[in-house]
Amino acid sequence: MVTQTITWITARGLFGRRRFLLLLPLPLLVIGLAVLSRGFGVAPEHWGEPVLVGLGLAVVLPVIALIAGTGVLGSEIDDGTIVHILTKPLPRSQIVLPKLAVATAATAVSVAVPLYVAGVLADSVGLGLALAAAGTVGALAYSALFLALSLVTRRPVLLGLVYVLVWEGLLGNFVSGTRVLSIQQYVITIADKIAPTPLLEAKVSLPVALVMSALFTVGFTALAIDRLRSFSVAGETS
Amino acid sequence: MSELSGVIHDIGYQRYAGPRLGRRYVFGSLYTHGLRTAFGLGRSAKAKIFPWFVLGVVAITGLILAAVRAQLGEVVVTYNAFPDTMSWLVIFFVAVVAPELVSRDLRSGVLPLYFSRPLPRGDYVYAKFAALATAVWILLGGPQLLMFLVAAFSADNLSAVWTEVGDLVPGLIYALLWAGVFAGIGLLVASLTGKRAFAAGGIVAVFLMTTPIVGVFAVLPSKALNELALLFSPSSLVFGVGIWLFGSPDGNDDIGPFGPLYAAVAVGLVAGCVALLLARYRKVASS
Repeated sequence: MVTQTITWITARGLFGRRRFLLLLPLPLLVIGLAVLSRGFGVAPEHWGEPVLVGLGLAVVLPVIALIAGTGVLGSEIDDGTIVHILTKPLPRSQIVLPKLAVATAATAVSVAVPLYVAGVLADSVGLGLALAAAGTVGALAYSALFLALSLVTRRPVLLGLVYVLVWEGLLGNFVSGTRVLSIQQYVITIADKIAPTPLLEAKVSLPVALVMSALFTVGFTALAIDRLRSFSVAGETS
Repeated sequence: MSELSGVIHDIGYQRYAGPRLGRRYVFGSLYTHGLRTAFGLGRSAKAKIFPWFVLGVVAITGLILAAVRAQLGEVVVTYNAFPDTMSWLVIFFVAVVAPELVSRDLRSGVLPLYFSRPLPRGDYVYAKFAALATAVWILLGGPQLLMFLVAAFSADNLSAVWTEVGDLVPGLIYALLWAGVFAGIGLLVASLTGKRAFAAGGIVAVFLMTTPIVGVFAVLPSKALNELALLFSPSSLVFGVGIWLFGSPDGNDDIGPFGPLYAAVAVGLVAGCVALLLARYRKVASS
C-alpha cells in the first residue's frame, strides 16, 4: 500500500507537469536517424555503429538513466520533501526499491523502444529484441548506480557525468582495463551474445558482463538502502 | 499665538556628491564574479572540486604533450588540434559551470535584486556569457600557452620562436571560437531550469546527442550532404570552421565549398543563443 503511494509520488515527480516531454527528443532522434539512413539506402555497416552504439548505448541510455536515476531521490532531497517520507516508520528498502523500479522502468521504456526500432531497421527483429533486452539490463544497473550516487554525494549528476564521460567515454577507449567496470560494455556484450552481428563488438566476456551487471545492481541498491538508514538532511551549503 | 519652541538643528546630513559607479561598474562586477564562480574562487572547497579537476586534467595533458614534443622533437598534437582532443572535457566543464552561473540565480530568486540596480536586462546575459566564454578560453588557452612556452624555450633560434608564435595565435583564436559556441549553448540550456542537476544533464545531452548525427550524415550517399555533415554538432561545427580558416589537419575531412556557410552558421548559432537568452531573461524578470 505504502509502496504504491511512493511509486505514485515518484512517477509524478518524474513525469508530472509535462516533464515527460523532456525524455522524448533523445529516443526520437535514434528512430529518426535510423529511418533516415534506411530511407537513403545506406548499408547498415556504415550507420549501425554510430546510431546503435554511439547514440543509443553510449548517450541515450546513460543520460536518461542519469536524469531519471538521480531525479527520483535527488530532487526530493533537494526540495527537502524527502523528510516527509523518512519520518514514516518504513523499512528503508521500501523507499529505495519503488524509486529504483520507477527509474528503471522510465529508462528501460525510453531506451528499449527506440533501440528495438533501430535494431530492426539495421539488421533483424532478433537484433532489435537483443538490444531492447540488453538495454533493459543496462537501465537497471545504471539506475541503481545513479540512485546510490544521489545518496552518497550532494552533486550526483556531476559525479555520474564523470563516470559516463570520463570513465566510460575517454578511458574506455584508451585503457582496456576500465572496460571491466563499464556498464556500457556489459550492455554491448549482452546484446552481441544474444544476436551476434558485426555491428556490435563485444569486448568483455558474457559471464563477466552478466555477473558484473548483477553485482552493480545488487551492490549499489544495498548501498543506497544502507545510506538512507543514516541519512542526514543538510541545507545547501556551496 | 504661542511662541515657537521647536528648533531645527543642522546635524550634518549631506547629499551624496561622489561619483556614481553606474552601468559599466555593475557589468564589470557581474563579469568578475561570474569568472570567479566558474573556478569556484571565493567559495567552499566543494565548489572547486569539479572545475579544478577538469582544469587539472587538461593542463596535465598539455604538459605531457609539450614534454613529449621537447624530448622527441615531433609535434604530436598541434595547437589547433588541442581543443578537438579535449572536447569531452570541455563539454563536462560547461556542464559544471553554466548551471553555477545562471541556474543558481534562478533557484535562489536573486534576479529581482540584480535588476533593481542600474543593470539593463541584456547586460546580465552579456556578462554571464562573457564570463563563461572567458572561463572556457582560459581552460583551453592556458595549456596552449604552456605548450608554447615549452616549445619556445627549447627552440634553437629566434626565427623558430616566431614560427611558434605564428602557430599559437591561430590556436588561441580557434580556442576562442570553441569558447563562444559552447558558452552560448550551455548558458541557453542552463537558463531554462533552476535545478543545477537537470541543467547539467541537459547540457551534456544536447552536446552528445548531436555527435552521432554527424556520423550518419557523413555516410549518406550524397556528396553535398557529406560535406555539410559537420554542421550538425557544435564541436564538429567549430572543427569545420577551423578547416575553412586554417586548413584541414590531416586532409581527411572535406567541407567542399561550404566554408563560409560554416562560419556563418557558427556566428548565427552564437548570436541566436544570445538572442534567445535575452528573450528568456525579459520574461524571467517580469514574472
